[in-house]
Amino acid sequence: MSRSIMLRGTVVLAVVLTATMADAQDSPDYFRQNCMNCHTIGGGRLTGPDLKDLSKRRVGRDWMIDFLLNPKAVIDAGDSYAQEIFDASGGKVYMPVGPGMTKQRAEDLLDLIDAESKLEKSQFKGRQFSNKPFTTADRKRGRQIFEGTQQLKAGGASCISCHSMHDTPALGGGRLGPDLTEVVTRLKGRKSLSAWLVAPGTETMQPIFKGHPMSDDEIHSLVAYFEASAGKSPSEPSANRIALLLMGLVGAAGLVFVFDSLWKRRFHNVRRQLVDVSSPGDHP
Amino acid sequence: MDVRSQVSMVFHLDKCIGCHTCSVACKNIWTDRKGADYMWWNNVETKPGTGYPTKWEDQSKYNGGWHSNGNGRLRIKSIGKARIVPNIFHNPHMPSMDDYYEPWTYDYQNLFNAPEGSDQPTAEPISMIDGKKIDVQSGPNWDDDLGGSPLYAANDPNLEGLTEQQKLQLSSVERLVFFYLPRICNHCLNPCCVASCPSGALYKRGEDGIVLVDQKKCRAWRSCVSACPYKKVYFNWFTGKSEKCILCYPRLETGQAPACFHSCVGRIRYLGVLLYDADRIEDVAKLPDDELVEGHRSMILDPHDPEVIANAKKCGISDGVIEAAQNSPVYRFVMEWKIALPPHIEYRTLPMLFYVPPMSPVQASKEDDVIHHSSDNLFHDIDSSRVPMQFLANLFGAGHEGVVRYALAKQKAVRWHRRAETVGDIDRETADRMLREADCTREEAEEIYKLTALCTYEDRFVIPPMHREQAIEMMKEPHEHREETGFGFVGGPQRGM
Repeated sequence: MSRSIMLRGTVVLAVVLTATMADAQDSPDYFRQNCMNCHTIGGGRLTGPDLKDLSKRRVGRDWMIDFLLNPKAVIDAGDSYAQEIFDASGGKVYMPVGPGMTKQRAEDLLDLIDAESKLEKSQFKGRQFSNKPFTTADRKRGRQIFEGTQQLKAGGASCISCHSMHDTPALGGGRLGPDLTEVVTRLKGRKSLSAWLVAPGTETMQPIFKGHPMSDDEIHSLVAYFEASAGKSPSEPSANRIALLLMGLVGAAGLVFVFDSLWKRRFHNVRRQLVDVSSPGDHP
Repeated sequence: MDVRSQVSMVFHLDKCIGCHTCSVACKNIWTDRKGADYMWWNNVETKPGTGYPTKWEDQSKYNGGWHSNGNGRLRIKSIGKARIVPNIFHNPHMPSMDDYYEPWTYDYQNLFNAPEGSDQPTAEPISMIDGKKIDVQSGPNWDDDLGGSPLYAANDPNLEGLTEQQKLQLSSVERLVFFYLPRICNHCLNPCCVASCPSGALYKRGEDGIVLVDQKKCRAWRSCVSACPYKKVYFNWFTGKSEKCILCYPRLETGQAPACFHSCVGRIRYLGVLLYDADRIEDVAKLPDDELVEGHRSMILDPHDPEVIANAKKCGISDGVIEAAQNSPVYRFVMEWKIALPPHIEYRTLPMLFYVPPMSPVQASKEDDVIHHSSDNLFHDIDSSRVPMQFLANLFGAGHEGVVRYALAKQKAVRWHRRAETVGDIDRETADRMLREADCTREEAEEIYKLTALCTYEDRFVIPPMHREQAIEMMKEPHEHREETGFGFVGGPQRGM
């Protein structure tokens, strides 16, 4: 009896300890997974501003915490500083609320940013992407990666599973995510798009790519492909639907043919055949 | 030796006049219900003809019965354990409604309710399935008396192996011929319907061998419908259960002959018990086609043999049943005289209904309005009978003529014998020679004559005491049964579990 209580106590203690440690530990991870696709610390502006020396901005820590808890509300309330950074981002992209954001989490994040700002080279400076011009080979490889004819090295799902492009063939791509023809424009150019791809931040993409990040090389190719497609008209969903219907009809006809030959020896109407063959045009 | 008793039947085709009284009696008692309207547990077919359902004998289409692959394995043609899975949503060998017929009645109300018009109202045919007006295109007896029909008679599956000339003769004037084949469930010894049922709803009653469908266990697989080569299991589309001839067991249990037997105008039907050796069923069912009839006979045991009687008692068969077996008219037709033969034994279900093959007039030809017979010997020449020997052999001898020839020769000899006795235009010596040639004696000929022509109710139907009390005792405590019985089904059979 007492042994089992002890055992249970140990288990509970272990769970609580692990949870606390994880909580304390995961601020950098949290930043990496949720913030780095738009922000750097000392790496320059992406979609969102560079966060280096955040504490030296003219708004205070409390403002920051309010903003983290609900950015849209603060922006829409007409706060002047919020308007400023909103306009700087192009006036279109609201910062999303980070998943599981609490006051404690916001405090931790701000502490982390302060600490990282003091370093010479922060771990969140962002990956530096080469500026070399895209070649035709890059674009071609990008398209292959998008369509899944070339697999992502880390095993992530191919883009076509959820997205489509203006030149996606036949049945088109998936419909879960948006059409990516204009993605370069939407995400403000090559640099921020590349940063986004390092750690995609949406609820759907994050869990998929968390364990299977794309390599710099792959991102380079994909961005080349996306950049080339910018300005083209996106794929037409209704055309895809007609293609789907036609392929369905052809497929069904094919299946009918296959099953008809598989079940060739099944029972066919005897009487009707007999009457038709014996006295054509003269029944019943 | 595993001795069992089987209520068996003989239909004497030479006596059948095709009046369908049997079918009507059966229909009125058992199948005059919604969903059973198309069922004819008893039907009478014209041969040559296609029968009911259309061309049921064509197993290349219906796939009924057993297949013996030669290396000692029997297989159900239509379905098997492995094949039931890929065919679970559609049994590929199921006859459609069109191969039976769409049951119909007439709109009699119209005769009373029709508005005033320029002509008399009519009662138009309406479907018994959806109640709409139908154009009747076939029925259960659509080819009745249509011997010689280029549509029905010419497509009889039993014409296989006949020469072109013989086939032509069957439809030419003055040579055309037909006879009747009344059919009920054969209550087979190796029933394919029972073997095929995935739910175990079909069973063969231990005490009398009647094959029945348990309406509470039937799960509408309809494997029995496709498995039965005689197409004598029908699916009730209303209750969703299969049904078949029950050999009027409630009548048998109270000492009455089944309705179709009782009502038979031509007195063609005989019913009695046969004792058989159940240990040999499988071996016999595997025999090659030409040995099947003999093999089937060899399973049936002599009820007078003391050893058989002792074994029968050991197997729990009561004295009353053994006595009934000794007096069985079926035993005499099948075993003593060997003139009754099982139908289509090549299906290997070992049917326990036997047919005495019919005699038919000799061939004739017409020249200048004068009819000439091709044979001077009207009573002797069974080979120039209008029904070709091969046709009867296909029906009753698995395609082999020997047993059919024997049965017909003996019947001919009996006629000669009786003609010598009563008319006297044939001398006794010739008649005796005929009898000898047909493996028959004067005494046997008299017996055959009596049981064929002068038979009484008691001669034709030797119904064994059913001893239901013993059968119940085997399954259940008798007092418990007495308390529960008498209420019948609380509700009728229904679709679903």
